[in-house]
Parts: sequence; structure tokens; C-alpha cells
Amino acid sequence: MNATVRARFDIGGTLAARLRKPFARWVRRRQGEDHLPATVGRRRVYILPTRAGVAFAALALVMLLAGLNYSNSVATMITFLLAGCELIAMHLTHRNLVGLTLRDIATVDAFAGEHGLLQLTVENSADSPRMGIECETDDSARVALDLPAGGRARADLAVPLTRRGRLRVDRIQLSTKFPFGLFRAWTYVHYDASLLAWPVPRGQREPPAEAASGGQAPSLHRAGDEEWAGLREFRDGDSPRQVAWRAFARGRGLLVKTYESPAAHHRMFDLARVAGADLESRLEQLSAWVVAAHARGERYGLTLGAQTLEPGSGSKHREACLRALALFGEDPP
Amino acid sequence: MIPNAARSHVAATLVFLGGLLLVCADAPLWCVGIAAGAAAWRLGIASRRLAEPKPRRGRRFLFGVITAIFVAAVLMSFRTLNGLAAGTALLVLMGALKLLEARTPRDDGIVVGVGLFLLLAAALANQSLWRLPLYLLQLWGAFAAMALIAHANGTFTTRAALRLSARALAMAIPLAALAFVFFPRFGGQFWALERGGLATTGLGDEMSPGSIGTLAVEYDPAFRVQFEGAPPPREALYFRGPVLNSFDGFTWRRERGYFYPREELEPIGPPVRYRITLEPTGRPFLVTLDTVFEPPRRGVYFGHDRQVTAMNDITQPMSYEAVSYLRTRSPQRLSTLGRRYETRLTNDRNPRARALALEMRARAGNDTEYARAVLEWFQRQGLEYTLDPGATSIDSVDTTLFDSKRGFCAHFASAYAMMMRAAGVPARVVTGYLGGELNPMGGYLLVRQSEAHAWTEVWLDGQGWTRIDPTTVVAPERLQRGIFEVFGDSMPASSFVLQRSAWFNKIALAWDGANQWWQQRVVEFNLRSQFELLSKLGFDSPDWRHLGWIFAAALLSWLAWVTLTLRRSVARGKPDRIGRAWLRVTRKLARVAPARAGTEGPYAFAARVAAARPELAGPVQEIALRYARLRFGPPPAREDIETFEREARAFG
Repeated sequence: MNATVRARFDIGGTLAARLRKPFARWVRRRQGEDHLPATVGRRRVYILPTRAGVAFAALALVMLLAGLNYSNSVATMITFLLAGCELIAMHLTHRNLVGLTLRDIATVDAFAGEHGLLQLTVENSADSPRMGIECETDDSARVALDLPAGGRARADLAVPLTRRGRLRVDRIQLSTKFPFGLFRAWTYVHYDASLLAWPVPRGQREPPAEAASGGQAPSLHRAGDEEWAGLREFRDGDSPRQVAWRAFARGRGLLVKTYESPAAHHRMFDLARVAGADLESRLEQLSAWVVAAHARGERYGLTLGAQTLEPGSGSKHREACLRALALFGEDPP
Repeated sequence: MIPNAARSHVAATLVFLGGLLLVCADAPLWCVGIAAGAAAWRLGIASRRLAEPKPRRGRRFLFGVITAIFVAAVLMSFRTLNGLAAGTALLVLMGALKLLEARTPRDDGIVVGVGLFLLLAAALANQSLWRLPLYLLQLWGAFAAMALIAHANGTFTTRAALRLSARALAMAIPLAALAFVFFPRFGGQFWALERGGLATTGLGDEMSPGSIGTLAVEYDPAFRVQFEGAPPPREALYFRGPVLNSFDGFTWRRERGYFYPREELEPIGPPVRYRITLEPTGRPFLVTLDTVFEPPRRGVYFGHDRQVTAMNDITQPMSYEAVSYLRTRSPQRLSTLGRRYETRLTNDRNPRARALALEMRARAGNDTEYARAVLEWFQRQGLEYTLDPGATSIDSVDTTLFDSKRGFCAHFASAYAMMMRAAGVPARVVTGYLGGELNPMGGYLLVRQSEAHAWTEVWLDGQGWTRIDPTTVVAPERLQRGIFEVFGDSMPASSFVLQRSAWFNKIALAWDGANQWWQQRVVEFNLRSQFELLSKLGFDSPDWRHLGWIFAAALLSWLAWVTLTLRRSVARGKPDRIGRAWLRVTRKLARVAPARAGTEGPYAFAARVAAARPELAGPVQEIALRYARLRFGPPPAREDIETFEREARAFG
């Protein structure tokens, strides 16, 4: 799958740019909100000639004038063949999109400043393949798909996340220039998908000290008084140093050694305890602590104003914490 | 470089090469060489045999300089940038330049565009039937290349591109045919490009001994004639071309500036109506059968000698309809001016022939008897009709009649007319064509350059201008047979073989018939033909608006056809066997329970049915489970599907 650099306008410069917003509003009013799976209907496919298409039409016009000028039958006939092919190209481009189904949309969140992923599953229920289906959002790069007859494919759209919080993907654009690149047909699917941008893990402050917790949770770290507690399965974020390589060599899979201290510890990260005027940098500090604590395999909890996440560990917990950080202060959807 | 980008470059380059091939006969050799070199270089890079040069600063400037040099070179070799040949040369060079810098899909697209423009140039220069497949091939390749350029990435194959392109072309052909017939042809010149480079052929406005003989070995068609009704007998097929009226002792010329009133004529016998399609000759002369009373078309000059001359050289095939009379009579006397013009002779040439003429005229009672006596003398003299009469002298008539005694039609016509004039009898030499070959396929007479002939017309009081062909007394067989049959042995081997092989001749005639159809029905199709067609379709006074309406209707029907054809081929996949069996189950259940919604899954449906009809819960949930397993589980075996189908049929 190749992400091509997004060429924003196919037709003419500023006029298209100026018409873009009103057109988007009009389309939204016209089509309304979509539900998945969304099948592209005949009446919501828009089509315009590309620059190549306009040039091609101009070429056909010049040929027609030359043919008529010289009463040259063969040149005239070639012109009509060209014009006919251009009209057929228009139909082919249009039909390449009609009947296409957007089956599913999944999202992968990421830190602000990185790219989140919008994963579109596109399905072709027709009995002929569809080539060169391009998927994009208003912000993402364009990804081209080739769909075999009756097949489906997934497009991973990399959406740049510029600032912390929720990024609404207003609409998804499916387009195609198949077959000759003379026309571009496109359609919009309005679906309320959103990507989360976690605060960037940034900040030099020391994390709060570990507090004793009631539970007897196994820890990966051996302090002086800890005892061998056995093996458990490898989780994301575990350090390779703690892997029981001997067990791995015996074919028992990836396991990590755990140790148990008489009283398991955890850290509580509280927004209120992080000093500083700027909310974003405080959230970034919390994010940095969460990431670090997870990497060390510690147990940690998070308190954001009224919301508290109980201490825990593992990838899911990390993601829940980052999610809470991302959404802190955002309006509920 | 991604291999697929290389594929785009190769496709675009091949289209350019195709266009180059089509115009290579019309473009100067050095242009073709440069373009072919650029294409080879690009192909070398695409196949990784050569390295792509690194982009350097100043590249644009360099290309600008090269462009200027190319333009200057074209300007120097053509003396103009206007004109088809100069334009083609420029296009070839610019395409070559674009090939050198082709990197992006846009560059490739421009190269394909140049290929299409070269196709246009080729079509403007040559509309022959045999080139039509080449033009179609070029279109096919161009569209395939455009598809490849548009889909450089992904799974799109070259084969798919070719198939797609062929399909689009095939679907466009009906539109092209309809548009060809009905799109209003506003002919005429919006602007004029100079055409050049067409060599002249056929009969000219002067005739020296031997000049017809060089035409006699040419197998090319000169013109074709379609007669209305039965064609006249072969010996009457004298097609008049340039009439020559001035003799310097060696060469007969058509001199301008000699006019006298055209004599009155009375036709004897019925008229012959026919249509002639003339091949381009690069000369202005039209050909007509024997005597015409009216010029066959407007915009031509109809001389006092009934010679029809176009205003310009004929560079495109030309057709016209004419009415001729094979026998005519003129009750008048020739005007004094006419008599003076048609008896002019330089006095110091051909002394022996002159002396003989004066002596024979003195013995004869009148002009008619004299003309017959000279003809008889030609017959007695033992002259030999040959394509190779040997060297002649400045007194060419004396040489022919008294020394070599060999000659071709031009020699005899020249000698006869000279002897008439020497005795004060008005005479002129007529060049043209005698005979022809009836094409059984097309029902027309094909006249080749080899049928070129020369004869004389002599003014005889009471009859008017009378055709006397001295060749017929020397070689009577020429009247009945074509030149190839008369001179089979002395013809060049190639044309001889062509003529003698029966099956080849058959194929050649069929091909010529196809060409004739193409020329008349396609190449010469114009606004007038469109109006004729409309009259046949029942329009009373057709004008271009009718054409416009018909064209619009044809375009709309074609669009509807295309829409239907293309819509059908994206029909949604039909439900497969499992789906059909499941549909049967749900339809059966629809009689006893609420129908299944379109998007409802099997479990939800079964639960709903079970809620509505608890007594059916067991079997419905059972079959829903089986369906879900087949549909969403691992790919089922054929037996499992068949079992499920049986169960579905038995269900209920």
C-alpha cells in the first residue's frame, strides 16, 4: 500500500479552494449522516475531469477542428473515437465507485505529534475488480487500494495528530481516477469516528514515591527483601532483561520472572500534585510518568480531578490512563 | 526508481515511437533520428541498462537552449514553421525532448499526448485504407499507456490495461460511426497550412518523345470510373487529359494565352453518364471521357479545347460527375483565329516530314482524304510500336518516320499532328488514357497510369474536331488490350509478374475495390453526402440543423447504451449456495413469523422467531447455528453445503 503525497486540488487553484467549504457543507446537508456499513449510492458520487482529462478534451477539440478544416474524414473519425473513449472513461470512473461498501472503521490512537491510524475496511461486492480506490480524510495521506472481485481490503490512513485531545474525523473521502486518469470520481462518507491524541510524555520531575498497597502483587524488580514468585506470561512493555530465556529455550514460550515483596507497592499520579501553571505541560508530565511506570512494570494509578483510575498495570491499563489524559478537559462526545 | 514507474515510461515511449513510425515518411530523417535516439535512451534507462542522469542545476536552461536550436533547425530546413510537414517535424523534436526529461506521470502523459498528435498529423497526411489498422493500433496503445500511467502502483497489470483499452475503443466505435455520419461537417478552411512534398505524377502539360513511355510502366491507379448503365466498348474508352497545341519540332506543349471561341457541337448518339474519382497528381488537369459539353464541376476552367483544368493542383483525391458524347459533329467552320493557332509550326524542323506532307496534301483532294492518306502511309511505312524506341534527334518526327521507324504512341501522335499542321490542316495532340480494367467487385473501371496514351485531333470541315489515333494503325492490338498485355515481355519483371498472376490480380482487384469504397464512401464523405443521406431518409430540405438533431439523438442513445452495458457488468454478486438455502429457510419462516430484516444476523433472527413462536425455537435455533457455522466458520466442505441445502429444503 502506497501513501502518495496528497495533491490537494485536481482542478484549478484558488477557485476550487474557495468552493471547498461550501461544497462540503452542501454535501453534508444533502447526504446526512452515514451508518456502517455504508454503500456508495449512484447519487452521491461526484465526478469532474482531471487536468489530464481537460487537456485530453482540448486535444480532441483541436483534432476535430483540424479534421473539419481539411475535410479529412480519417482525422475526424479518430477524433470521434477519442471523444467516445473519454465518455466511456467517465462511465468507467463513475461505476468504479458506485456500489462500493465501507464495511468498518477502526482507530488506533497515538501521542500528539505522531500519526494515529484510521483503519478502513472497504468491500467490493461486484463481480469485477475495482482498481485504484483511493481513501483519505481531510487531513490524512491518500492510500490506494485494489479490490478483487467480491473481496475486501483494509486501508490504514495515517492521520497526523497535532494537539492533545479528540480529533474528529469529519468525513472520509473515497475517490478514484480509474481507468485512464481522465476523470476523478469521489464520494464522502460522513461517519463520526474520532482519534485520540495522548499528551506527549514529557517532563523531568521525579514521580511520587511508591506507596504500599494492600494487595500482594508480583513485581518484576528484585529489591533486597523480595522473593522469587514464579513465571508469568510476557506482556507488552516488559523488559527483555526480565525474560526467562532458559525457559524460552526449552520451548515454553516467552515468560518473565517475577518476584514478590511482602507488601506490593504502587504509585499514584495525581494531577493536583503536579505543580505548574500550564495544564498541558502537567498532563505531559503525567503521561511521561505513566509511560515510564509501565515500562518498568510498576503498578500505578491516576487521579485527574474527580476521576480516579485505580492502580493497575499492563497495556490495557496504560491505554486507559493515556485515554483519560487525552480526554481530560474535553467535552464529552 | 520503482519498477512500475519504469513501466509507465516504457508505455509512454512506445506510444511515442508508434506515432513516430506513422509520420516517419513525412518528417525529415534527422528529426526521426533524434526522436528514435531519445526513445532508445529512455527505454535503456527503463530497462536499467543505462543510468538515469542526476538532476542538475541549469537543466531547464539547457532544455531551453536545445528547444531554441530545434526550432531554428526546423525553420532552416522548411523555411517556415507553418505547414503540416514543419509542424510534424517540430512535434517529433519536442516529443523527443520531453522523453529526455520524462520523470513524473505528468511527463509521461504529455509524451502520450504527443503520440496522439503525431497520429493526427499522420491522418492529415494520409487517409489510405491500409493505414487505418495502424491508426487504431496507435489509439489502442495510447489508451493502454494512459491506464498504466494512471495506475503505476498496485496490482494493475499491463494485460488488464490492454484489455480495458480495447474494450473502451470497441465501445466507442458505434459512437464514432454515428458521429462520422451525422456530425455536421462544416467543411472549408478555417485556416490554411501549407502542404508540400507531393510529387507530381500522371500526364503533364508537355509531351516529348518517350515521356508517355515512362508512365506506361507505372502500375499505380490514375483514376476510377463508375458508369451509369453499361460502360462503352473498350475501344471507345478514350479519356481526354491535357490537350497540347504548340510544337517546337521536338516537344508538344500546352501553351497558355491562346483562346478562340469554342465551336458549336451536335451530339450524335446517347450521352454517357459517369463519375470519375481522380487520384491526386499534383497537377491541375482533370480527365473526361471523350467530348464533354459542360464542365463536370464548378470552380474549374473549361477551355476552348474542352480541356478541364482545376484552379489549383490536385493534391487530394477528387471526384466529379460528367456527361460525355462519344460521337459529335460540328456544322461550323473553324474560326480563322482557331485555324491559325492550330496550324502553327516552326518552319526549320523536321524537313523530310514537312516535304512529304506538302507533297501528299497536293495529291489529296481535300483535308479528309489527306488525313486518311497519311494514316495509310503510316501503316505502309512498317513502323514498330515499342516501349523502347531508342535515341531520337532534335528532328524527332523525321527520326521516327524515316530513320528508326520505331516509336511509342507519343511519337506517332506527335508525327501525325505535325504532318497535318505542315499541310495546313488544324491538328493538336491529346494526351490521356485509353482503356482500363473493369473491376468486377466494385463495378467500376480502374484506369492505371500505364494506360496513358496520346493521340491526335484533326479539324475536318463538316465533322469538326475528329479523333485520329495513329497508334491504332501501327499497333491495332493496343485498342483491345492493355499496355501490359501488348508489351508483356518488355515490362519490368515486377509489374509483369503482378499482371500475369491470376490470383494476385484477383486479390489486387478486391483490394482496389475496398480502397475505392473507402475513398468514395469514407474519405470523400462531406456535408453534401450528409444532405444526400438525409434526403434518402426522407427529409425534404435537409439542412445542418437536422443533422444536429439526429446527431444529438444518436449521442443520447449511445450514452444510454453505454450506461446500461456498464451498469449490468457491476451486478452485485448473487447469493451463493449457502446463502440461497438460508434465504429459502427465512422465506418459509416469513409465513409464520415476522420477516427477517435485511441486515439481521442468523442468531438475532432465530431469537426473534423463537420469541414469537416458542414451539419453533428448537429447530430454528438449530438451523441458524448450522448456517452461522457454514458461513462464518472455516471454509466448509462441499458435502456440508449439500447437507445444509437438503435440510433447508426439508425445513418447515
